[in-house]
Amino acid sequence: MHWEFVIPGYLIVFGGIGAYTWTVLSRARSAAARVPEDRRTFLD
Amino acid sequence: MSSTGTTTNGSRAFAGPTASKATRVVGLMALAGIALLLPLALLWSPPEIDQADAVRLFYVHVPSATVALYLAFGVTCLGSLIYLRNQSVFWDLMAHASAEIGVVFCGFVLITGMLWGRPTWGVYWEWDPRITSTAITLILYLGYLALRRMDLDPTVRSKRAAFLGIISFCNLFIIKYSVEWWRGLHQGQTIGIDTQLDGLMLFTFAWGMVTFVLIFAWLLMHRFRLGWLELQATTTSLDDAIAARRAESPQLTGEGL
Amino acid sequence: MTEIPDLDLTPRDEDPGPAPGSRGSVRNKLIGGVIAAALIFVVYQGLTNARVFFLNVDEAIVQRDDLGDRTFRMQGTVVSEEGNSANGALLFTVAYNDATAEIRHLGPEPSDLFDLGEPVVVEGRWNGDVFESDQILVKHDESYVEDNPNRVDYELEDAP
Repeated sequence: MHWEFVIPGYLIVFGGIGAYTWTVLSRARSAAARVPEDRRTFLD
Repeated sequence: MSSTGTTTNGSRAFAGPTASKATRVVGLMALAGIALLLPLALLWSPPEIDQADAVRLFYVHVPSATVALYLAFGVTCLGSLIYLRNQSVFWDLMAHASAEIGVVFCGFVLITGMLWGRPTWGVYWEWDPRITSTAITLILYLGYLALRRMDLDPTVRSKRAAFLGIISFCNLFIIKYSVEWWRGLHQGQTIGIDTQLDGLMLFTFAWGMVTFVLIFAWLLMHRFRLGWLELQATTTSLDDAIAARRAESPQLTGEGL
Repeated sequence: MTEIPDLDLTPRDEDPGPAPGSRGSVRNKLIGGVIAAALIFVVYQGLTNARVFFLNVDEAIVQRDDLGDRTFRMQGTVVSEEGNSANGALLFTVAYNDATAEIRHLGPEPSDLFDLGEPVVVEGRWNGDVFESDQILVKHDESYVEDNPNRVDYELEDAP
């Protein structure tokens, strides 16, 4: 019972995580393209 | 942690320039967590006696709340404090990265809460103290992200964002205690001294917590490195501009300055 | 230290950033305005609604004269259900701290959790001794109990 609320909830959460991941990774690709290879080191 | 962006081409192809050994390990753990969480939460754990299957929303609602309100906004507050002390670029980027992830998960908290509220309380939304204060938090951090995008001097912007990051975190204490201070519809803490959560439900809930913390850690590493790359891209274009300017002055070229 | 001769340091107009009144700056103001408006709205709702979200039945009875026909929310546990009246209103009684109130509910059906012994919050107003409700919210507590078909029923377990 109440699956009509559960399924959209899970779709939004895991779809949302997927969509956000995709945004971050594609933004990183385009940012990296503007940075020379030798400067692509991280602070951490 | 000491890793560099220059990783094997294999991981580059999948996750791009922000991947490293650390992200691969945490990412695989998070994926394994999700792979077990979904059947646990949706199939194997039992329906609740009153809420029936609506209880399953809790296995993502509460972990999202913990990640967003405590972890993510906590890291933002910590980063803001350190930034104000020593202007650390690392912590400035970290605070920004963490706030963005926090906003995403805070959105999940409100959406899954609404979807749970309709079949149990009977309404999607009520101006209950906890719901209201969570909505205020989301708006405050949206403001934080908007401030980060404003065209200001970078130092001024980071400083203002740091203040906002600290003030907004104080609001979280209101949320935490709103349930006890003011009467509301929202139930109190789920995990307390006299926890009322049956066997497999408790395990699923704990598993959801672990999984969401792993997802957060993975996202934070990638998002932080994205911020760093974007900063590098800005300074690179600035350096290029200076180099181009130098090249224009004939006296400066070829003299090995 | 070498003297750097004739280096043109005046800013070029390649990346001047959005000028006042440009699209970028207007967008920033718009976003800021929307966020500020949303914040004011939610804080207002919080101060008016969330601070006193409901009165308990005993308090609502004590304050009955002051409340008049004002709309408010009242919390109590469902102690008896009298079924539906001729005009379709749902009749039931709620209690809190030994005080009881009759409810006449005309409005959307409560959620499936509505049952005897469940705490509810009803929204409506006094009409004499009867509370006329437009909305029933079922308050869920912190316990999460497995709905296990193999488990012995709780009533049976308690029986001698």
